[in-house]
Amino acid sequence: MSPTAMFESLPLTEPVLLILLSLAEQPRHGYSILKDVEEMSDGRVVLSTGTLYGALRRLLDEEWIERIEEEDTSRGRQAYRLTSRGRKNLQLEVGRMKHLTRLASLRIAAKEA
Amino acid sequence: MLSVGVYRTLLRLYPEFHRERFAEEMVGVFEERRAEVASKSRFARGLLLAREATGVVGGAFHEHWRTLVGDSIGLWFPTRRFTMHTEFRFPKTTAVLMTIILAGVMVAIKKGEAISVSVPPSSTPIGPIPPTHSVLVGGIVLMFAFVYLAGMIGWLILFAMRRSGIHRLSETSGGAN
Repeated sequence: MSPTAMFESLPLTEPVLLILLSLAEQPRHGYSILKDVEEMSDGRVVLSTGTLYGALRRLLDEEWIERIEEEDTSRGRQAYRLTSRGRKNLQLEVGRMKHLTRLASLRIAAKEA
Repeated sequence: MLSVGVYRTLLRLYPEFHRERFAEEMVGVFEERRAEVASKSRFARGLLLAREATGVVGGAFHEHWRTLVGDSIGLWFPTRRFTMHTEFRFPKTTAVLMTIILAGVMVAIKKGEAISVSVPPSSTPIGPIPPTHSVLVGGIVLMFAFVYLAGMIGWLILFAMRRSGIHRLSETSGGAN
């Protein structure tokens, strides 16, 4: 992916950001991602299975995540993990958000002073 | 309650390549979600049903859309936002829609022609074209000529200013500060 294409992918939508954050901690399978996203957002973001797999398909195609071959594939379970590209993009997004938060704090503080 | 069988049937809405890749996993996750809400209220089970059914239908539509027009525009779950960039490229979907509209207009014209041929010609003579028509055409031509002339004058003024270096005055004063 070219640097331009990488930046075109940002900013991420909240569900995609949460999915990536979920996988940043450890590899997870579909249901575990759903539960973790729900927990991270305090129940605000509840993904349907269709929505989750739409996002996973896209992230797989863009090589932000990859499938891990598991010995136990009962119930069709597959685990996913972040690739180095995915982690880099996630760091870029978090950096962008940090910058915005810092800027917003400064502006609000200046207005209140 | 949405049964696994019905869910599997709904998954048939997805393109084949997507089903081969994810269908079994999706069924597995759905079963786990279903087990999770089995002991909960009827409302919670209804909510799951609605969410899963709309998720599958929406997801299938999105995958078909992606197959048709690519990833240039996400419909309801984009991983990239559609924002203006300096290197902004014309979206493929717009080109597709414009082609469809053009095809629609062409079909309408052809239909109109076919109807005009099928209707027998009127026996009443149309008569000479009223003189107002030629006046109208002349007016349009005059208006175009005026607009063209105004554009030419504007361009000449800008050209003369550029040649004289007036446009650089602001840069000079900015540099002095």
